[in-house]
Amino acid sequence: MISMRALVSRSAPLLACLGLLGIWQIGALILNTDSFPTALDAIRAIPSILGDKESLINILASLRRMAIGFSLAVAVSIPLGLMMGRSRGVASFFNPLLMVIYPVPKAALMPIIMLWLGVGDLAKTLVIFLGVSLPVIYHSFQGAKAVEEKMLWSGAAMGLSATQRMMRIVLPAALPEILTGCRTGLVLALITMVTSEMIARQSGAGNILFNALDMGQYDAVYAMIIIIGAMGIGLDAAFEKLRGKLVRWSEPGFDIPLSFA
Amino acid sequence: MIEIDRVSQVFQTSGRQNHLALSEISLTIEDGAFLSILGPSGCGKSTLLYIVGGFVSPTEGVARMKGKAITGPGPDRGPVFQEFALFPWKSVLGNVMYGPRQQGVKHAQAEAQSRALIEMVGLKGFENFYPKELSGGMKQRVALARTLAYHPAVLLMDEPFGALDAHTRTRLQNDLLNIWERDRKTVLFVTHSVEEAVFLSDKVVVMTRSPGRIKEIVDIDLPRPRRRAELLLDPHYQKYVVDIERMIDDTSEDELRP
Repeated sequence: MISMRALVSRSAPLLACLGLLGIWQIGALILNTDSFPTALDAIRAIPSILGDKESLINILASLRRMAIGFSLAVAVSIPLGLMMGRSRGVASFFNPLLMVIYPVPKAALMPIIMLWLGVGDLAKTLVIFLGVSLPVIYHSFQGAKAVEEKMLWSGAAMGLSATQRMMRIVLPAALPEILTGCRTGLVLALITMVTSEMIARQSGAGNILFNALDMGQYDAVYAMIIIIGAMGIGLDAAFEKLRGKLVRWSEPGFDIPLSFA
Repeated sequence: MIEIDRVSQVFQTSGRQNHLALSEISLTIEDGAFLSILGPSGCGKSTLLYIVGGFVSPTEGVARMKGKAITGPGPDRGPVFQEFALFPWKSVLGNVMYGPRQQGVKHAQAEAQSRALIEMVGLKGFENFYPKELSGGMKQRVALARTLAYHPAVLLMDEPFGALDAHTRTRLQNDLLNIWERDRKTVLFVTHSVEEAVFLSDKVVVMTRSPGRIKEIVDIDLPRPRRRAELLLDPHYQKYVVDIERMIDDTSEDELRP
């Protein structure tokens, strides 16, 4: 049985989407200009994009770059962040470097990267990698720094070596914070993916969008925005579900019913 | 046997000044003794415990366990901290099993032993709970079971009941004594409560504040097993409490002098 309140809170995001589309629809009807199609027109243009083989290959290529860039960034950033959090030496070595890179918009590095690596997959994946790395490093760093010293001592007394303490105490203890960083990183991966394709126009979801814009196919432009937006919402929701499973033990509102089997 | 041999500890404060936390402490702890270290906060009593645990290296002097210098933590010395320091991502059972599993005990055997220990500390039925879902007293029971699970020869208890309310504290003191009286492990118990120290211990080491020095070692000659209700009425117990309280008052006054 789902209670009324649970039903409302679960359907809230859907209602928010419908509300936005409604406002869009009304706004477009009132303004009535070519460059602002109605929501219905945009939605009607989605099947033709998703049905087109060329477009699908482009979108899948985007997703592949995003997946590779994101995975590599996570694989490098989590160990680096954790080591920074536990070792003052490592932190003071990398901190200044990261402080300089942090405020620079990663897309602004795109021209230089293109100069070095060309306009292909490598350059775009690298930009995604950079975009994802920083929040993941930062949150892993914070998470590792906050691990209670006494927890590590308890592990040491049980006979865990320094490496084991890192893998089996610092990592799980920092996991909620790490995953918060990964969630931000995932959204940033999508953003940097689209911007990289906007600058290096060769393939990808961003390329479809800006080509349509150049050709004045506004239905397709808005349809593409909906598709990219839906990808973002879908990825984020899926990640949240995974995160919830992994760190159920840390959720503030988490309680198991007080009964034993 | 644990020997603490002229141990001193100097900390650097944030103002880059040297602060002498412990000054030339020498102390011998016999096997099977329940020894409390009692002193005002900031007297370095916890630091002394951390040195025996191998978590902190003394600036000068040496601590020895069975004649061998202590250079780091090890499963022969099991800590129980005021902050519990449980692994929040592990269930109660997972926490208690952690040590034996690390020591290479087979899963089934570790689980059976851990379940028995959880029952012994009074938490039967809570095996699958996460630390977050437990009260402070229950968390400390888990922490005690987790440490007992890997059979340390010495229990290092760092104000273990300091964060608990009076009622819970009393119950845990009773339960700790019951558990201790079964196997008489060596216990090093840090506290700032005089009653707690007298109630539990064979020996109470009274320390002065800053720099921490041993002011006096009091043998508590009260019969065991100790029952709280009887002890509270026992004039010997009362005299120990009053005498030790007076010693601590003296140390506080020392400090007020210029």
